[in-house]
Amino acid sequence: MDSGDEINIYSDNEVNDYYGEDANNTDCNYESLIKEEDFVDSDSDSPVAKRPRLEGPPDQNYTVLKQSDIRERQENTIAEVATVLSVSKAVATVLLRHYNWSAVKVHEAWFSDEDRVRKNLGLLPIIEFPLDSTEVKCGICFDLFPTRDEIVSAACGHPYCVECFRGYIRTSINDGPGCLMLRCPDMSCCAVVDRDMVNSLVSEEEKHKYLTYLYRSYVEENKKIKWCPAPGCDHAIEFDDDQGWDVTCACEFSFCWNCVEDAHRPVDCETVANWMAKNDDESETKTWILAQTKPCPKCAKPIEKNEGCMHMTCHSPCRYQFCWICLGDWHNHINCNGYKEDKRKEVEEAKRHVQKYNHYYERWAAHNLSRLKAVSDLGRVQTEQIEQLSDIHGKTQIELGFIAEAWQQIVECRRVLKWTYAYGYYLPEAEDAKKQLFEFLQGEAEAGLERLHGYAEKEVRQFLNADERSVNFEGFELKLKSLTGVTKKYFEKLVSALENGLSEVQEAGKSNMEERWRCDRCTYANSWENVTCEICHMHQ
Amino acid sequence: MQASRARLFKEYKEVQREKTADPDIQLACDDSNIFKWTALIKGPSETPYEGGVFQLAFAVPEQYPLQPPQVRFLTKIFHPNVHFKTGEICLDILKNAWSPAWTLQSVCRAIIALMAHPEPDSPLNCDSGNLLRSGDIRGFQSMAKMYTRLAAMPKKG
Ligand SMILES: [Zn+2]
Ligand SMILES: [Zn+2]
Ligand SMILES: [Zn+2]
Ligand SMILES: [Zn+2]
Ligand SMILES: [Zn+2]
Ligand SMILES: [Zn+2]
Ligand SMILES: [Zn+2]
Ligand SMILES: [Zn+2]
Repeated sequence: MDSGDEINIYSDNEVNDYYGEDANNTDCNYESLIKEEDFVDSDSDSPVAKRPRLEGPPDQNYTVLKQSDIRERQENTIAEVATVLSVSKAVATVLLRHYNWSAVKVHEAWFSDEDRVRKNLGLLPIIEFPLDSTEVKCGICFDLFPTRDEIVSAACGHPYCVECFRGYIRTSINDGPGCLMLRCPDMSCCAVVDRDMVNSLVSEEEKHKYLTYLYRSYVEENKKIKWCPAPGCDHAIEFDDDQGWDVTCACEFSFCWNCVEDAHRPVDCETVANWMAKNDDESETKTWILAQTKPCPKCAKPIEKNEGCMHMTCHSPCRYQFCWICLGDWHNHINCNGYKEDKRKEVEEAKRHVQKYNHYYERWAAHNLSRLKAVSDLGRVQTEQIEQLSDIHGKTQIELGFIAEAWQQIVECRRVLKWTYAYGYYLPEAEDAKKQLFEFLQGEAEAGLERLHGYAEKEVRQFLNADERSVNFEGFELKLKSLTGVTKKYFEKLVSALENGLSEVQEAGKSNMEERWRCDRCTYANSWENVTCEICHMHQ
Repeated sequence: MQASRARLFKEYKEVQREKTADPDIQLACDDSNIFKWTALIKGPSETPYEGGVFQLAFAVPEQYPLQPPQVRFLTKIFHPNVHFKTGEICLDILKNAWSPAWTLQSVCRAIIALMAHPEPDSPLNCDSGNLLRSGDIRGFQSMAKMYTRLAAMPKKG
């Protein structure tokens, strides 16, 4: 796009200067809608931060739009339609708004039946009133005016005095975006009050409001563009095709373009919507789940969870190590993701349901919180920790990039893991083989992530102490890199399995988890057909 | 003079002049307050409101006619778009479809039209709306007629 030219299609000869080109008229300058400082760190050509994508499509199927991009597109579309149809830009705007800002649709409708379009939208040919007409009565205040000098009208010619019409437009602008569809006040008339007319009558402040509505309508009425839902973010995302809904805004917020929920690949929107609605329904049962303290399963002293990973260690002297989620002994417990259906007959269905829901909700919420904690830790790592380590160990910040990468991986994996619990909740209980495969893959991925998260969180501490320059930093780097890579692979497997609807099960018949060999290095359970580990390539 | 007052005064004079123009509507302004009006409207014929006379109260805002007047029934009426207890009316032209070209007189006409053509899909009176929506026209009509007789007709004797 030719961004060098300052395109200002809103000002041409016969039309008022919509966005105030002249310098002393800055109040209602379109430019002032755009706070330049918002873009200082994102004005490059690749505004989207690099983040680890779990084998996502290499070509981005969406575009992040800044305010200036949105404005430019809007201006270009209006200019295009105005030129093709030979109408004023104000009229082109009316047409585009009606057809969801699609120039193609405007052209189609206009050239197949211009009269009908004009009639429907109130774009009437201008009616000239006879100049000799005597007194004119304003349709709002009912005062009589000796000449038409103080009278204004839309194309229909219904007369209103300037004061009344200004009040009419002003009231409508202050009522909200409906002012963009303003019509002649006459009860039986549908003539539009277009932007030219609005601009000629209202104050700068009101023009500014009107333009803000117009600007927002370009995104809100456009079928291919949505606002980024992150609080305070004013970017929008244009989506190009229906493959993979997850998008990441320039503000780094990831969301599903389709349902505008947090990014939830590999789980589909319907499952997410059901799950979120369910969470609303169950809001009472879940308050206790969110509590951030639990009694130590051994000594019953309350333990507060203040770290991201699920590996808890009680205060001394107990020092019992347990899993936050299932309260099981950390060392005897490989994974705690599998939900055991309670088979006892005396447990009523309702209770079973609550237990099942709680199991999944607790994990969903725990991983969500853990992800939020990891996001803030990642920020801290990038701003403080890497600098400290760089000073102490004489490494450049680029050499230390592997630490931030590890944290980015943790954030992304927590996100995936969180949604797999919504997926798991809806996985039909009858599909035993699928359930088994799912829980196996989820368990492996989760265990890998806990190892990585724990290592990144705790192991690094010894290197932040200047006195211990001698400790094996290279060993730490090697291990963290390998844990990052291994965890990434676990999650790639999990994501692709869920996206294929766990179809692996049908191919392999009943997959038998017991008959696998566990890799010594990364603990992945490999099929006996593999001679080397699927994850880390170590020989059996 | 305040714009709303000036406009109301014009409507007042118009009403005085054409007192007999619309026999179904009797509009009057409160002697001491031009922002308070009342109207008596006749129930339209061939409706359950036929024969009844209904009183409306208007509260006109300072921003009139840029903002609509608030109108409610003072007479009890069984109608899907009128609140049975408060008399509040659900009519688009009194809300988002308001235009300053409407007058108090034409608002009365719109309300008479609403009495003849209820919109059961935006009910303020759910009982009445439900009767109509379920197709129980006779049930609706007998209820509406009963209330017309009880509340909107002069007592005999
Ligand atoms: Zn006027
Ligand atoms: Zn008109
Ligand atoms: Zn954003
Ligand atoms: Zn979605
Ligand atoms: Zn303990
Ligand atoms: Zn841990
Ligand atoms: Zn556990
Ligand atoms: Zn391995």
